[in-house]
Amino acid sequence: MLKYILKRLLIMVVTLWIIITLTFVLMVSVPGSPFNSEGNSNEIVQQNLAKHYNLDKPYHVQYLLYLKSIVTLDFGPSIKQPNQTVNDLLGRGFPISAELGIVTIIVAVISGITLGILAALRHNGVIDYLAMGIAVLGISIPNFIMATLLIDQLAVQREWFPVATWKSPMHMVLPVLALATGPMAIIARLTRSTMLEVLTQDYIKMARAKGLTPWKIIVKHALRNALMPVITIMGTLVAGIMTGSFVIEQIFAIPGMGKYFVESINHRDFPVIMGTTVFYSAFLIVMLFLVDIAYGILDPRIKVAKKEGE
Amino acid sequence: MKKLLFLLIAALTVFFLAACTANNEAGEDPEEKENVEEPADNGETTDEESGSDEKVLRLNNGTEPSSLDPSIGFDAVSWDPLNNLMEGLTRLDADHRAAAGVAEDWEISDDGLTYTFTLREDAKWSNGDPVVAADFEFAWKYMLNPETASAAAFLGYFIEGAEAYNSGEGSVDDVKVTAVDEKTLEVVLAAPTGFFLDVLTNPAFFPINHKVAEADPNWHTEAETFVGNGPFALESWKHDEEMVFVKNEHYWDASAVKLDKVHFAMVNDSNTQYQMFEAGDLDTASIPPELSDQLIDGDNVFIGPYGGLEFFRFNLEMEPFQNKKIRQAFAFAVNRDDIAQYVVKNGVEPAYGFINPGYTSPSGQDFREVNGDLVTFDPDKAKQLLEEGMAEEGYDELPAITLSYNTSDTNKAVAEALHGMFQEHLGVEVTLENQEWNVFSEAQKALELQFSRSSFINDYNDPVNFLESFITDSYMNRTGFSSEEYNELIATGKSATDEEERWNALFEAEKLLAEEMPAFPIRYYNTVVLEAEGVEGILRHPVGYFDLKYADKK
Repeated sequence: MLKYILKRLLIMVVTLWIIITLTFVLMVSVPGSPFNSEGNSNEIVQQNLAKHYNLDKPYHVQYLLYLKSIVTLDFGPSIKQPNQTVNDLLGRGFPISAELGIVTIIVAVISGITLGILAALRHNGVIDYLAMGIAVLGISIPNFIMATLLIDQLAVQREWFPVATWKSPMHMVLPVLALATGPMAIIARLTRSTMLEVLTQDYIKMARAKGLTPWKIIVKHALRNALMPVITIMGTLVAGIMTGSFVIEQIFAIPGMGKYFVESINHRDFPVIMGTTVFYSAFLIVMLFLVDIAYGILDPRIKVAKKEGE
Repeated sequence: MKKLLFLLIAALTVFFLAACTANNEAGEDPEEKENVEEPADNGETTDEESGSDEKVLRLNNGTEPSSLDPSIGFDAVSWDPLNNLMEGLTRLDADHRAAAGVAEDWEISDDGLTYTFTLREDAKWSNGDPVVAADFEFAWKYMLNPETASAAAFLGYFIEGAEAYNSGEGSVDDVKVTAVDEKTLEVVLAAPTGFFLDVLTNPAFFPINHKVAEADPNWHTEAETFVGNGPFALESWKHDEEMVFVKNEHYWDASAVKLDKVHFAMVNDSNTQYQMFEAGDLDTASIPPELSDQLIDGDNVFIGPYGGLEFFRFNLEMEPFQNKKIRQAFAFAVNRDDIAQYVVKNGVEPAYGFINPGYTSPSGQDFREVNGDLVTFDPDKAKQLLEEGMAEEGYDELPAITLSYNTSDTNKAVAEALHGMFQEHLGVEVTLENQEWNVFSEAQKALELQFSRSSFINDYNDPVNFLESFITDSYMNRTGFSSEEYNELIATGKSATDEEERWNALFEAEKLLAEEMPAFPIRYYNTVVLEAEGVEGILRHPVGYFDLKYADKK
């Protein structure tokens, strides 16, 4: 097991290095500079700025500087917000995005699985059509439309919730709803289809024959196997949602880290591009690793460790 | 094996939960302060605050300021807060002219080179320190230090020795800013500059409390350490979320300040901030483009000029725009009224000259009125000019023309309107091309674009600010235009000691620019703001930033 984990860790480091290198190559090959604001300027000022951020150095030196900053986990100051380091920005933004993300995931998983099970149990019944109708809507309505609808209906027309900003649990309701609909719908559809498949298996019939209660059959026997595909998508889903959504954070004025993924590229804010890329990749890789381990626990047929170890 | 896995996951879960709780607690700390004044759980602040006697104005800054270091924050999102947290030697008054700020009085030598400022005795920092001449000397030299890498440094080049120091060739000791004594600041300029007092209203020239800055170079990054000298003090600053200003009791003119508090939200979505305004969470808001037609004529809309121009540049090094008449033809084929009224909307004014209205000449007239309309919509003339131009160049057919703009909905609409006008009035089919801002901007600087969109926002209150862009090899030129005559006019327009002479040169320069037409104007920028009932007295200057010193909320 230990050997397996070490091997995975090594692969993770190599993957990260490849991602960093590719990002750097892309970053320097895109035209534009961080100092192209619409404001006025002159050559001397531009030179001073380039020098200040080491952008006047040859590419290989810049690359080594980036590698150094990643190894020391100190990405230096943001170019767009020079008085904030990248660590400040991510350190402040991530907890907020993560808080929103965790609540969203909990909501999406619970409601998605419930919908999926209900739909599967009442296959081709009214509940099934209703649940899948909700799921199709959830998948096809983009979250920014959902967000705008929610604000208009629940915050402006009815004043039940605040429009935006990030101050109290009440402020969290609308963004969570807007963010959770999509994943919820996906999870519901996945759960439904695998549940339907599992419910026709022999061992379920066996369980029924033994006279187990329907509740026990579903929770103990069916659900466990039906969850495998859900676990598979959880890795990417968790990494994606917890690192923030650009659109939702912008619409609800949430000070999370989602915006940095997009804005850093628009501004050519190189340290922030590097910081967000490394952070997201590392997070995603770790999540995928956890998913692999979770497989092993949920499904005894998958023995990650042994297969590798033997 | 299973046990080990279970332990591992359990440990991770615990760690994860611990991390989350820690964050929650950390997040609550600054909020507690807020809860004292806003106990409502639902986060609605309105009732509680209007119930007390405090006058609280709630504005939106859009985003986090790039920096509240006055030498570094060189954009609107930094200037608006800075202009209310700090004050320079001069401050723009209600007529948008430079009036006394920290400087109570000044003397200008006869050659127009030496400015001697006398600082107010009662000018104080928000921590109680007196504002001294050394604070200005420190701040300006810090701004000009090449290692500071201030984007605003070029504004300081009016000062003798500044350009050399900033370019790394000169020494800081040769920058002619001297604190003669505690309350006297002497500045020697490189050349006479009639609008120097206007330049000084830019936040780049604000003082820095040198004692504070020397002790803590990061004084400007948090509310706890921030020290200003303006009408308001920074009470709290939740990065990316909200800034709260309180009235600065140490401000020399504190009795003029009516507001007790100002909340700056950071909502970067035009629909959201409008809906917050509608819900009563904001006192001012901008108009979302989709709602422009519906809202623009409302009683609660403030429309004012904004010192800036949208224009299009020709590339004089690419065919067919080496020819003056062809350039003019394109300029005269544009119906600017239609573009302003039906394409850009939002109450913008069409531009028939390069300099926006609002600059008053020494004789008291507006620059725009004196020079009048320099380029109009005249399809017949345009057609004729095009024919003449093509004959001069021996073209049977015009070379292919590509019009480029940086990607945005408004820019696209304007470009499409132009496309139609050139086709209708000149019979020329231009190809439209849009590029992401950074890519576009690089290409434009490198003179790789044939015909491209541009915008200019004034840094200071003088026509020379824009006109200077087109001198030979200026960083802002980006057209390949070069004229000795124009360069000379600008030199006079910048440095003549006689204001009359200086303005005459500027009038001539604008006319010459319109004659040569390396670029043609489309429309002026404006400021459009929705203001809630009872909001009064916010000074919105055409150049730069707003001033809340006299603002009130009834």
